[in-house]
Amino acid sequence: MGDLRTEEFVVNMGPVHPSTHGVCRLMLTMNGEQIVDAEPVIGYLHRAIEKICENRTYPQCIPMMDRFEYVTAMSTNELFCLATERLAEVEVPERAEYIRVIMLELNRIASHLIFYGTTAMDCGALTPFLWGLRERELIIDLFEETCGQRLTYNYFRIGGVANDLPIDFVPKCRSALDVIEGKMSDYTGILNNNPIWLARLKGIGTAEADHALAWGVTGPVLRACGVAHDLRKDDPYSIYDRFDFEVPIAQEGDCYARYLVRLEEIRQSIKIVRQALDGLPEGETRTKIKANFKPPAGEIYTRIENSRGEMGIYIQSNGDKKPLRVKLRGGSYNQLQFLPEIVRGKGYLIADLVAIFATFDVILPEVDR
Amino acid sequence: MGVLKSFVELIRGLGIAGKHLGRHAITIQYPEEKWTMPEKSRGIVVLLSDKETGELNCTACQLCMRACPTAAIDIDAPRGEDKKRYLARFEVDHMLCCFCGLCVEACNFCAIEMSTEYEFSTLNKSDLIWDKDKLQEMGRNVDYVDTRKKKEPKTPPEADAATKPAEAKPDVAPASTGDVNPETKAAEAKDATSTDTPSGDTGKEEDK
Ligand code: SF4
Ligand code: SF4
Repeated sequence: MGDLRTEEFVVNMGPVHPSTHGVCRLMLTMNGEQIVDAEPVIGYLHRAIEKICENRTYPQCIPMMDRFEYVTAMSTNELFCLATERLAEVEVPERAEYIRVIMLELNRIASHLIFYGTTAMDCGALTPFLWGLRERELIIDLFEETCGQRLTYNYFRIGGVANDLPIDFVPKCRSALDVIEGKMSDYTGILNNNPIWLARLKGIGTAEADHALAWGVTGPVLRACGVAHDLRKDDPYSIYDRFDFEVPIAQEGDCYARYLVRLEEIRQSIKIVRQALDGLPEGETRTKIKANFKPPAGEIYTRIENSRGEMGIYIQSNGDKKPLRVKLRGGSYNQLQFLPEIVRGKGYLIADLVAIFATFDVILPEVDR
Repeated sequence: MGVLKSFVELIRGLGIAGKHLGRHAITIQYPEEKWTMPEKSRGIVVLLSDKETGELNCTACQLCMRACPTAAIDIDAPRGEDKKRYLARFEVDHMLCCFCGLCVEACNFCAIEMSTEYEFSTLNKSDLIWDKDKLQEMGRNVDYVDTRKKKEPKTPPEADAATKPAEAKPDVAPASTGDVNPETKAAEAKDATSTDTPSGDTGKEEDK
């Protein structure tokens, strides 16, 4: 019998696929079971947030920002408020700054807990998913008591935060942190040395530091390649320069390294929140701004460190009460672009791609905006 | 050796998961059991009524309508005989509402609030557009701290509107009102009425 004829074929993964964390279509060119090339097709979640913001006054943009990246909506709130405050030179009271840092870091923990759960679930382990979401619930409850919503917080305001913390926030927050810290040994214990987990993640999706930098990859994915780039340290915003924390890095650049980096970041965030709770001063939580708020004409680019890398906003103002142009940058966008680079020609299986996608922690609303 | 090690690891993992055996569930049986929502929880938008008279607190100033980012609030407030605005129509479209709470923040008269109620699904889309009466009815059992100045009978409307937010301050401790500082509100109200809402009710009275 002569040789069997083989040919490459295209498989569509998505747009509606549980492991794409949103609505993303990956066009995979396959050679048998091996991936030859992958091409992300984006835009299924496009809601024109940038354009909508151009037709809203500055305070009205904040609820829109919540929808930009809803897993860490506090970061998006901070991003917009920080940019506008810098543009209009609005001072933020000390207490509000502390509250913001507490919220941002709690949100980072919540986001990484989702990462922990969903990555494990994508690799076939359901228990960590339930655990991750169970502890995240503690944080979400704190948010709900503080600002009234569980996902789209709309809590930060230009010049502070919407309202003060509830009276019993500090003790509740401390006990939630204790619970999460206590569970960390369970998290790592069940996965870190698990042979299936290691087989699925170790040595898969290895990225080189130079390559990642060239593609604008930031956040934990970059730090897992050995580059200690964290805007909280490199370009401190808010009051991050007052806190003592480390930027966890790993050298391998593979899926397992990204997982370890994120788990370590949870520990560091817990540390930051504890320091912020200790230092929380009394006082005002909001600087009054005019109801008819108009920042001066000008433009600004502001960036913050989100749990998915650098998140940036460019605002152009012409002195009106609505921004002239808003442009958002999400870390996920660059990570998703980088994905084909990682899988091209390496002969990974679809199951490996799922693991790579999960550890990149791409979230599609941030890509499509 | 590798197989044995893997096996040991799997057993260890099972052991960690086994610690959770026998704990009682953290989930609840939703329609039968219900979660108590936190006080601040942002549910549906309702209108508040005066605790004594039972009338709507709303003065038809339309600040909430201007603050709403999704144009979910629709107010029709023509001027009546006495040149004062009255509330002809107040509709909240809960299909558009994104539960941001900006309308509550904008109102200076304790007239609009977000109740903790979250069950309001209907079979018909148009049932989600609530009119004044429905909003008032849903707001009847919402508890709130009245930060308005008590209305004295026969006070001229000018003085009333001008002093209302300012005098509300001693009535209530800022901490207990939670989300809104009366001082901020007063300042915002003045800004708003003098610049943003030239045709607004309070603005007119202040100008006189
Ligand atoms: S802001 Fe308050 S008083 Fe004014 S129209 Fe809205 S609900 Fe009524
Ligand atoms: S909660 Fe927000 S979207 Fe809903 S009516 Fe009020 S301002 Fe509009």
